[in-house]
Amino acid sequence: MTARPVRIDQVIPSIVERDAVSHHTLEAQRVLHSMGFVSEIYACSMGPGLAGRVHPLSELPRHEPDRQWVCYQASIGSPAADAVVSHPGLKLVDYHNISPSDLVERWMPQLGAELRLGRRQLGELAPLVELGFADSEFNRAELEQAGYGDTMVAPLMVDTANFYSAPDPHVVRRLETARAHGGHDWLFVGQMLPHKAHHDVVKALACARKIFDPQARLHLVGRESCAAYAAAVRSFVSALGLDDAVEFVGSVSPGELAAYYTNADVLVCCSDHEGFCVPLLEAMHHRLPVVAYGVTAVPETLLDAGIVLPAKSPVLVAAAVQRVLTDRALHDSLVDAGLRRARSFTVEGARRAFTRAIEHVLQAT
Amino acid sequence: MTSEVVAEIEAQVRQMRANGQVPPELEGDLDKCFEEVAEASLFGAASLRDGDFGPDASHPTSGLADRPSFAQLRRQATAAARRQLGPSLRRLERRASLAAARLGEVASIRVHVTVDHLERLATSSQRASRVLAAARPGGSAASVAGALHPLVEGPLLAWVIERLSAAPKGTRDPARVVLHAECGDGRVVEALAARGFNVRGVDPHAPVRSDGDTRIVAAGALEFLGATQGGTLDGLVLTGVVDCLRPGEGRVLAQLAARCLAPGGVVVLVSARPEAVVALDPVAADLAHRRPLHPVTWCHLLARYGLSVLEVFEPEASEPDVFAVSAQRPTSALLAGEGSA
Repeated sequence: MTARPVRIDQVIPSIVERDAVSHHTLEAQRVLHSMGFVSEIYACSMGPGLAGRVHPLSELPRHEPDRQWVCYQASIGSPAADAVVSHPGLKLVDYHNISPSDLVERWMPQLGAELRLGRRQLGELAPLVELGFADSEFNRAELEQAGYGDTMVAPLMVDTANFYSAPDPHVVRRLETARAHGGHDWLFVGQMLPHKAHHDVVKALACARKIFDPQARLHLVGRESCAAYAAAVRSFVSALGLDDAVEFVGSVSPGELAAYYTNADVLVCCSDHEGFCVPLLEAMHHRLPVVAYGVTAVPETLLDAGIVLPAKSPVLVAAAVQRVLTDRALHDSLVDAGLRRARSFTVEGARRAFTRAIEHVLQAT
Repeated sequence: MTSEVVAEIEAQVRQMRANGQVPPELEGDLDKCFEEVAEASLFGAASLRDGDFGPDASHPTSGLADRPSFAQLRRQATAAARRQLGPSLRRLERRASLAAARLGEVASIRVHVTVDHLERLATSSQRASRVLAAARPGGSAASVAGALHPLVEGPLLAWVIERLSAAPKGTRDPARVVLHAECGDGRVVEALAARGFNVRGVDPHAPVRSDGDTRIVAAGALEFLGATQGGTLDGLVLTGVVDCLRPGEGRVLAQLAARCLAPGGVVVLVSARPEAVVALDPVAADLAHRRPLHPVTWCHLLARYGLSVLEVFEPEASEPDVFAVSAQRPTSALLAGEGSA
């Protein structure tokens, strides 16, 4: 039996503020501290606000392999994975999914290469890792497919700041003024990246305005992380004559985000790939019904608390939104189911699952 | 329950299509429209990148052509290497921050610099790409020097042309006869030719780079200058070779330059700073390795072989780790030992 480690350090490629995986890593550090371990976070790059809380990867200690474990937060290709591979201590992988490169390659060749590298590194780590845990069953299955022997689900420790922030009154006032002229408000929240398929939501809105709801509006909340794709979506909106109907909100504060959630009528998600999709959870918490394309981890995150579509033809998405907005009984049942689903994801529950994962390895070794 | 609702919605859509409530071309037109704007956007982004950092879209490190290498860069540009990149790269990073701001990728130019950022920069800047590539663990001093091999463009190119123009026009050829050694892809040769110089280039890799341009000859700088008749050049531009000099080669090069220049002829050399190369790869600090020389050393060597009117140009804003030195062969007195070196 291996001795109980003194420290369990975490390695993450990049850690920044207001990012789901980064927040999860910081929460995991708290859990590890509460379990009595020394635990530091090491990253290749870090946001300015995290200086002092996170160390450069080059400082990752590796003096006492029997007493030092390392947990890798895997979400993209990175030199950090190589540091974990070469680390002499016991290794854990916490997997948050790596988007398929073909979804972004055309727009972001560099990111595509990093994603391919990430998949390769995930495979390289498989035989070296004691336990692979993932934040969804979908992700756990991918670990298994990549050759990981021992796997389990430990949900994402979600940043609940967005759940309980008071809606920004200025945004609320502006949205209410727009609503006074009629039409429903669609919302999508997520970084403007190609695999989030904002353009498919715009297509659905165009169909909805033509067939069902001529005054429908769409609010796209999230950082424009791919300039070329964002420019294409903006041009697309202009080409369709929807400049007045689509708002490119960008990155927002928790209060502003809460204002969008509370004032929208429906969250529409046409993403081609989601490893978990925190905005679905946030929408459900804010009593917002969800219409989503049911791929990757989306059906698992929503269960029966949203309309999960098997395809995303624009007319089908538009028709689903229209049904949710006009069928009161369906609307209310989705809101109730969403609230129940959102409440099932608690930070405390996720912390317990993470603790169980660590204890599982301690017992196994 | 929701699966039943989805089935109902699907049935409703089928019915609407059958009834003609959905214009038949609607979805196809939307797809086509997005593809058109997508192509335009991708083309525009590539153009903007190239416009910001140089026109050479065909260069293997620019635009979309170099997909696999980015993964290698990401793996190999370690934090330690990043720390060694020095002020040169920080300046380049600021350029990339500005470019990112112009592209609308960030709201502020005060971007926190990360490895990701360096790699983003490498997609747009040939020089940054070469510096990053050279920062790989185990890179030799020669490869590091190659990475810093300066691009002669902007203010630097203007200065080179100004200095060459100081030479009197040749007696045998109405245009000034200029040789560029080592000329790389020949862009300086083209720039000088466009300004009326009778220019030729030599480069050891010319067959790969010259695209059949007969003005460019495949040869090493030392080899070609050694075979050049003395006193026949009105101008001599030295790049590349001056970044990777073996011990003693600086002296030989200065001697050859002095011999080949006609009276009044001007030599201009553009080099990486040795301290920048050493910062990237400490092995280059060992005097036994290939490396560039300090501008003061060049002034000393060129003066030693009879050249005068020494000038040093340091284009800090555009190329902080690059300098240029020029010198002119006096018109009134022939160098001692000319033709016998």
